[in-house]
Amino acid sequence: MKQKVLKRSKKAALVLMVPTATFLMAGCGQEEAVQTAAFETVDQCAAYFNPEQCRADLNQALTMHTQVAPKYTDKASCETDFGVGQCETPAQAAAAAGTEQPAQQAQASSGGFFMPMMMGFLAGQMLNRSGGQLKQPVQAQPLYKSRDDRSTFRTATNTPVARGVGPTYIKPSSVQPKAAGTVNRGGFGAQAAKRSSPTKSFGG
Amino acid sequence: MKKVACDERPGWRSYAESVGFEFHTFDGEAYWDETAYYQFNLRQIEQDLEDPTEELHQMALGLVDDIIGDEEKLQQLAIPEKFWDFVAESWRAKAPSLYGRLDLVYDGNGPAKLLELNYDTPTSLFETGFFQWVWLEDQIMRGKVPQGADQFNSLQDQLETAFAELPLANPLYFASVANSIEDKGTVMYLMDIAKQAGLDSRFIELEQLGEASGQLVDLDGYAIGGLFKLYPWEFMVQEDFASVILSSQTQWLEPGWKMLLSNKGILPLLWQKHQGHPNLLESHFEQPGQSFGAGWVRKPLFSREGANVELVTPSGEKISEPGPYADSAFIRQKFQPLPKFGDSYTMIGSWVVGNSAAGIGIREDNSLITKDSSRFLPHIILD
Repeated sequence: MKQKVLKRSKKAALVLMVPTATFLMAGCGQEEAVQTAAFETVDQCAAYFNPEQCRADLNQALTMHTQVAPKYTDKASCETDFGVGQCETPAQAAAAAGTEQPAQQAQASSGGFFMPMMMGFLAGQMLNRSGGQLKQPVQAQPLYKSRDDRSTFRTATNTPVARGVGPTYIKPSSVQPKAAGTVNRGGFGAQAAKRSSPTKSFGG
Repeated sequence: MKKVACDERPGWRSYAESVGFEFHTFDGEAYWDETAYYQFNLRQIEQDLEDPTEELHQMALGLVDDIIGDEEKLQQLAIPEKFWDFVAESWRAKAPSLYGRLDLVYDGNGPAKLLELNYDTPTSLFETGFFQWVWLEDQIMRGKVPQGADQFNSLQDQLETAFAELPLANPLYFASVANSIEDKGTVMYLMDIAKQAGLDSRFIELEQLGEASGQLVDLDGYAIGGLFKLYPWEFMVQEDFASVILSSQTQWLEPGWKMLLSNKGILPLLWQKHQGHPNLLESHFEQPGQSFGAGWVRKPLFSREGANVELVTPSGEKISEPGPYADSAFIRQKFQPLPKFGDSYTMIGSWVVGNSAAGIGIREDNSLITKDSSRFLPHIILD
């Protein structure tokens, strides 16, 4: 007999929208560490991942470098934390990376500050991935090294992520990049406020 | 295709509220309406709705390359020049897209006609993917719907697969405007499915999104790697944070290239490229000073829920829906009346997830223009 193929979902369950289910879920929030890797160059990365994606990860890290690196008003304080000759201005970082600074960052850097040089990057990819899930579990981002520990790669928020180049296990939530600088809010939503009547939805 | 009266499930309203469906009634009027359902046969579903949905979707995708390389078309669609590269880059990078909805006119016979694409911020998702699915299971169990009945509705399964398999940022943030319970409900449903697919889904009110050093940040100042926004691109590109869209590394859902397809200007472009296609209605960009006559519908490039739509029936009757979207250009579309079942005009919303048709949701209204308050009715497939 021919098996009938249904045109509807096999299941339609909710876990967040149902209060009891949310309660049950609360107990099992153990975050799993994933295996990714730290590199200094695209070539090192290409030994593990697709070279094109490696270049994209490096470029993303370079772009974020100015945005997330710890900022110091004077060079000496920066060098106390990161070592003599290990600090730079955003303009120097842009020149080193061979990139033009976007207007937004040029504005942010007009005050003149110092930040540690980027020493490597975290790949936004996962090693030994199984089951096709979570292809981008961590965000590619710049890595730094402190003055007193030159072997450990750290994120901009000082979370150690790898001892040297190569694979490492991390919890994705521990390396979520935090943008440095003043936070502005309320930049989205003005059109909704202006057009509040007569619709109740801004979807459709 | 027919409409069948049916007993409501006792206590469905309190059940609806217990699963977060707080907008089942709107201004005292039913929004979810289970006093009847629509019945289709399998041929109608597969040949007249499912296949054309996927074909129309491919035709729409086929226009993106034409548009991003053509300044005249980008201007016709009123895409701000500052965002041309952003849109093109999102397309070249194959930035993933989650979903879309095509609105169709169909009465059970002949080709379904495309009214418009809701490809940026489609709603009625929870009603389709979850609530009408549960309705069918309940009504089969209670013997109110025949045992062998099925439903064209793989929406939740397909969304879960998409969240699991698309290259999405994790955590993935979800944003909707603060004062819309309907939008919040839609976003909560997507967050729920994303969670089931293994993603760390986090809600943030759209108005609470922050910017620091050019990055989009959450309430704690962490950079937002990926954001599903139930908020129109055409609004975002003209608000204070428009420049943050360009400077941030955020992965957007829907992606920037959806700006082109959620635009009513896509309808004349589809007609220009596929003139006479059985599923298309003749459409044109409105010319300055053009007269507006019988048998045509006038729609703004950007509008939602039927707002600012006006039409003149072939017999000369004028119908219009007011709204807040009168500040864009307009298109003209040949009038195709919605079929009437009893006292109601019926429209079919046909979902696409990835590139696959994923089910339908049915809306009814007392007028020829379907709008936000139009009732949602469930359907079944029965041969």
